[in-house]
Amino acid sequence: MTAKTILFILVAVLLAPLVMAQEEAVPDSTVGVIPPAPPLNFRAFDTPYDNGHSISLEWELSADDGQGRNNVLGYRVMRAESPDGPFVERGIVTSGGTSYNDSGVKESDSPDYFPRDHDFYYKIVATTADGSEAESEVFGPVRAVGQWFNARKWPVLIAVGLFTAFTLAFITLARRGKDLYVRPLAGIEAVDEAIGRATEMGKPILYVMGLGTAADIATIASFTILSRVAKKVAEYQTSLIVPCYDPIVMTVAQETVKASYYDAGRPDAYDDKDVFFLTNQQFAYVGGVNGIMIRQKPATNFYLGKFYAESLILAETGATTGSIQISGTDEVTQIPFFVVACDYTLIGEELYAASAYLGREPVLLGTLKAQDWGKACVIISIILGVLFAIFGWQDGVDAFRPGN
Amino acid sequence: MRRITLIVTAVVVVLFIISWIIKTNTVPEDGTFRPFIQGFLVTFAAFLTLAIMSFLYRDNPFYKFAEHLYVGVSAAYAMSLGFWTTLVGNLFPRISQNLSDWFGVPFLHYEWHFVIPPILGIILLMRLSPKGGWISRWALAFIVGTTAGLNLPRFLRSDFIEQISSTFLPLLVQWQGVGPFFSNFSLAASGQFIAILTNITIFLGVLCGLIYFFFSKEHKGVFGTASRFGIWVLMVTFGASFGYTVMGRISLLVGRLTFLLKDWLGIIS
Amino acid sequence: MTNIGVYISLLLIFGGLLAILIYSLKGRDVDRRIIFLFVLFSVASAIIFHIEFEESATPIVKKVFEFVENLPPESKILISFDFDPAMKPEVHPMANAFVRHALVKGHKLYLMGLWPQGQALMTETIEYVLKPEFPNAVYGEDYVMLGYKAGNEGVLNVIITDFRKMYSTDAHGTSLDSIPLFDDVKSAKDMDLIFPVGGGKPGPKEWILFVGDPGNVPIAPGLAAVVAPLIYPYYPRQAIGLLGGVKGAAEYESELKKNYKEFENVETPALQMMGPQTMAHIVIMAFIVIGNIGFFRARRRKWQEGN
Repeated sequence: MTAKTILFILVAVLLAPLVMAQEEAVPDSTVGVIPPAPPLNFRAFDTPYDNGHSISLEWELSADDGQGRNNVLGYRVMRAESPDGPFVERGIVTSGGTSYNDSGVKESDSPDYFPRDHDFYYKIVATTADGSEAESEVFGPVRAVGQWFNARKWPVLIAVGLFTAFTLAFITLARRGKDLYVRPLAGIEAVDEAIGRATEMGKPILYVMGLGTAADIATIASFTILSRVAKKVAEYQTSLIVPCYDPIVMTVAQETVKASYYDAGRPDAYDDKDVFFLTNQQFAYVGGVNGIMIRQKPATNFYLGKFYAESLILAETGATTGSIQISGTDEVTQIPFFVVACDYTLIGEELYAASAYLGREPVLLGTLKAQDWGKACVIISIILGVLFAIFGWQDGVDAFRPGN
Repeated sequence: MRRITLIVTAVVVVLFIISWIIKTNTVPEDGTFRPFIQGFLVTFAAFLTLAIMSFLYRDNPFYKFAEHLYVGVSAAYAMSLGFWTTLVGNLFPRISQNLSDWFGVPFLHYEWHFVIPPILGIILLMRLSPKGGWISRWALAFIVGTTAGLNLPRFLRSDFIEQISSTFLPLLVQWQGVGPFFSNFSLAASGQFIAILTNITIFLGVLCGLIYFFFSKEHKGVFGTASRFGIWVLMVTFGASFGYTVMGRISLLVGRLTFLLKDWLGIIS
Repeated sequence: MTNIGVYISLLLIFGGLLAILIYSLKGRDVDRRIIFLFVLFSVASAIIFHIEFEESATPIVKKVFEFVENLPPESKILISFDFDPAMKPEVHPMANAFVRHALVKGHKLYLMGLWPQGQALMTETIEYVLKPEFPNAVYGEDYVMLGYKAGNEGVLNVIITDFRKMYSTDAHGTSLDSIPLFDDVKSAKDMDLIFPVGGGKPGPKEWILFVGDPGNVPIAPGLAAVVAPLIYPYYPRQAIGLLGGVKGAAEYESELKKNYKEFENVETPALQMMGPQTMAHIVIMAFIVIGNIGFFRARRRKWQEGN
């Protein structure tokens, strides 16, 4: 063995570990990284009861989400127009999520446009912090379609249908002359007595219609009662003061009172100045009406219509002048003040009932009866619902809840 | 003018000027207004507050002045803000490039149907004309009809059906034992006794309240008793509402008095 | 409350009430201006002598607080300023407290209003609360002011489907498309919570009817005391909780102070108002009792005279 050979063997023996160590020192990045389990049972479907620009996706959690290796960070929602791709990311769902709505707008020139009736393919990709991923199977084709009817809102449809049917039926019955019973109301029975009192005392009657417009239901109900009051006033030859807040209301009130005087056979007694426009500023109006009450000291005050914060000021001033006061409003926040300061109060719907009771117009009577039947349905529903709740039948309870 | 009116007016003017001078020298610098203006604003605000409160004694010209000023300013503010946010902010960018440029707002794109609302608005304003007032009924009919159509399902759902289903309460909750039945009498309780009492009260209150407003049957016998319970429940509600309103009004008084005592008179820090 | 002035005020108030009771028992009417003076004196003395009481949140207010606490960071919260200066003392403190809470939790704020005066009031909140206390908050990234829009519930009908159809720009004229907060917001349905503050029409009720229920968005209304009883029926299904009047505002402020040290020294106007509020309520309750005693005595006397 020559010296060269020995040197070669020595170098090889000495260098070999270094070379092998270098090979071992190079890390293999694919070794030790295990992708997570893929999401399971993935499906995509047209979002129900929408306008056709949305697709809903559902899946089951990856076996490594919240359990197993517990390394799933979230899920990427990928969409393509063919099963082979290219797939575009549409959204991200954090770990624990099992659904996503891929939606957009209907304007085709918008960057967020989501076409209807167009086939799409989806897949869900579970991701981890170290970048490894696992894909679900591709699902498709699925297309977004608009629905004409949102079946989740059927309770609303049934309610609208029932109420409309009741209203039309009872208005028809009333127009045919059927006598529809309305129970007597304490406040209305007091109207004649109050007018009689004013006549005996020789003092005027003040009728305040509130701050509503001619389109407000409370004001419309007040017109009917005004007509009845004006007719009695004409018969008894008492004077009537009607200060108005709204010019349109004043016009209608003048026509109403004039017609009532004609009906009572006293057209000569009607004076346009009895029904006048005061002001359309809330507290200026109250100031003006208070001034009338203090100066002219009416024996009877009617407050029937829409009232707001000025209600107590009016009722209080009337009480200090010793008038008998009959009030009615559908403003729930003002009813307590009227109840406290007035002799009779028509609470909420009683005002509408009063106008139906006095006016006997078919439309008013028909709608009142329809409301009563609606209330009867509500009472029955509540009793049924409570029974369902007592006996634990949740489906029955949920049947009344409209979805979105 | 009566002598007493002259004296009172003179006193008010003198006090106003004195307050203005004092506030000009004592108001903290905030960079928005000069002290001279700041002093005037605080004094004027205090004057208006006291003028409105003077109505509690009796109606007077100072109250009338303050009230009319408030009405005028609030109407003008609402109108100008409505102009800038609705017409300039919403309408012009959709119907006219020139108008958008004139008012300095970015033009969006033409939407021809945005011309219809201003036409309806002009028709509505025709109400002011004695001869042409009839045409405003068309615009009004559109508003009433659209509002009714939009609101009916909303109100039926939220105020009617959701409220009905919220009343589906179990009157007898699941028996958990004597302890849980009576435990924890506070109003925040999860004790069974309170839960049962609450549910029964809500159920009976709603039912009897509805019966009170039933007009197709005379209130006699059992029906009458239920109706009487209903009106009692209503009166309790009105009492609570009254109390809440009193609280609201007092808090407004506290707010104004705080302004008078702190910002104007400087009695409190 | 060791202030000598407090004791003197209380002595004067209760002494005066006793005098009025005796006066009323003699069958005499009490001039309403005396009642006004009593209320004025009780409120003024409570303000001057800083009468304050501890507050603790009731469950209905706590629900709102905890909801905000439990929202994930950077949640989107819309606050609607639907009130005017007439309601300001009772509802503005709750709006300010809510803004503080939302920003300290790192949520994103969208400010708008359905009342014209609401715009000035939201500007006040931004200038006097938001900017001084949260100087690092960036406009467009942490909060945005959309401003007032006329149209009442019509506005809500539109923004539940598309914000941009109603608000093409924010209150400063900047297009919504160039505001980062609107990158992933299309409509009111994208909000994680809506806090409408107000007490008239349009107001919290319209938000529940036109946005909360149809859009399935959580609503936590801040209410003026006048309308609070009307909104209670919506709790808990349609409103997650509610803040009723200045009491609700005081409870929220107190919760904020208890849970966040950084708010220990901020101004709490609602909490300060509860002292004068309580004094006024005591006086009013006393007058109700006195009035009823007088009423029933007079009625009995009349009955006895009739017999």
